[in-house]
Amino acid sequence: MSRHSNPETNHWEEIQVTRLLFGLTEEEKTEYDRLASRIPVEELEQLDKVVASLDVIWADMQTEPLPEHLRHAIRIRASQELAAKPVVSLANPSTFPAKALRGKKYLPWFVSALCLMFAVFTWLDNRPMEKVRPDVAQLRAELLTANQGLVQAKWSPGPTPSEGATGDIVWSALQQKGFMRFQGLPVNTPDKEQYQLWIFARNQSDTTPIDGGVFDITSTEEVVIPINAKLYVQDAYMFAVTIEKPGGVVVSSRERLPLLAKVE
Amino acid sequence: MQVPLLTRIANGDTGAVDECIDRYGGLVWSLARRLSTSLADAEDAVQEVFVDLWKNADRYRGEIAGEPTFVAMIARRRLIDRLRKSGRELESRPIDKLALQHAAPLQTSPVELAEEVAQAAACLERLRKDERKVLELSIYHGLPQTRIANQTGLALGTVKTIARRGLLQLRVCMQVRNQRRANEVEVV
Repeated sequence: MSRHSNPETNHWEEIQVTRLLFGLTEEEKTEYDRLASRIPVEELEQLDKVVASLDVIWADMQTEPLPEHLRHAIRIRASQELAAKPVVSLANPSTFPAKALRGKKYLPWFVSALCLMFAVFTWLDNRPMEKVRPDVAQLRAELLTANQGLVQAKWSPGPTPSEGATGDIVWSALQQKGFMRFQGLPVNTPDKEQYQLWIFARNQSDTTPIDGGVFDITSTEEVVIPINAKLYVQDAYMFAVTIEKPGGVVVSSRERLPLLAKVE
Repeated sequence: MQVPLLTRIANGDTGAVDECIDRYGGLVWSLARRLSTSLADAEDAVQEVFVDLWKNADRYRGEIAGEPTFVAMIARRRLIDRLRKSGRELESRPIDKLALQHAAPLQTSPVELAEEVAQAAACLERLRKDERKVLELSIYHGLPQTRIANQTGLALGTVKTIARRGLLQLRVCMQVRNQRRANEVEVV
């Protein structure tokens, strides 16, 4: 905020209030994006937090609980969504007892499933990389063959280009998955910096494109990387690769942006 | 110390999903009813909010916001976005009849609120009457500017000015309280 003159601060605050309480028109959204790009990340969501606190204070959670059929639908959607996400850890250090364990009759099945999952993950973890790469390439080929709402674009140099880096990107709007292909992109040192993909889509502001996942380049030969979009992507129109600190960032400063791919 | 539900979900603990729906289903449903134009719309919206929540679970940082606040942020963003895309200028009446019956919102008991939200509740008490009224009408009742202006007799531009002033006051008050609390913790 300190970067702004007073009238601009007022304007920024006013547009934020409009966004949070009443929604923005397309023109206002463009203006919001322009202003937001100049605001420090830690200040971006301060008013969001204030409004969200009021939402929590005023929520009538007791008077109108979530209907059972909706709860059921949400559970089904969760199983679909979360099945697609990689399991980072099976450990549960929480004090909450797992609900699945409440019915003792399911216990043997649950233990068997855990053992099977453990075996699968052990195998996945130990198999050589050479075997992984063709699988990803195969998945990419299958996505292209399915040809369901595909968008494709070639990488072109960004504002801070990587000399000689080429490749392309393919994204299926229907399946909400896709793959990046690179050749000649410099190998990164994961504990120093990582690459991060950003997806520019109609359902997200240009200032805060969708996080497409953090990834490493292990070879300057052709590599195929799956996209890990953190949000639903509606009509992707541009993709960008930035270089960020290990683990990636929530909002990129875009200081190091080697590659861009615009959907024609 | 308990691991937050969203962190557990981000780590692949699917057992946390039911708990998350139990804990935040009412909050999201309450918001969706107030910021949707029909019951069907609210039902679709709730499902979309939860999908956003699963996808953004790994973005949750307890040191930045409490879990209920984070959930409400994700929910409001989606709901306002849906309203904007539907082309509605928030003109139609929200479907939450319960909300419309009450002149003022039913406030969740302070003992049930997380500390951060309890601070916001305390700060809310310090707002001017007109600031609180405008915030109630916009945030709780989901009314557009024009209807707030009609209902309060304020000029259209004044509605936004008062809403902004109220939110900024709350932001400062919450920051001061947070800082005070951080200092107390340091002393202890």
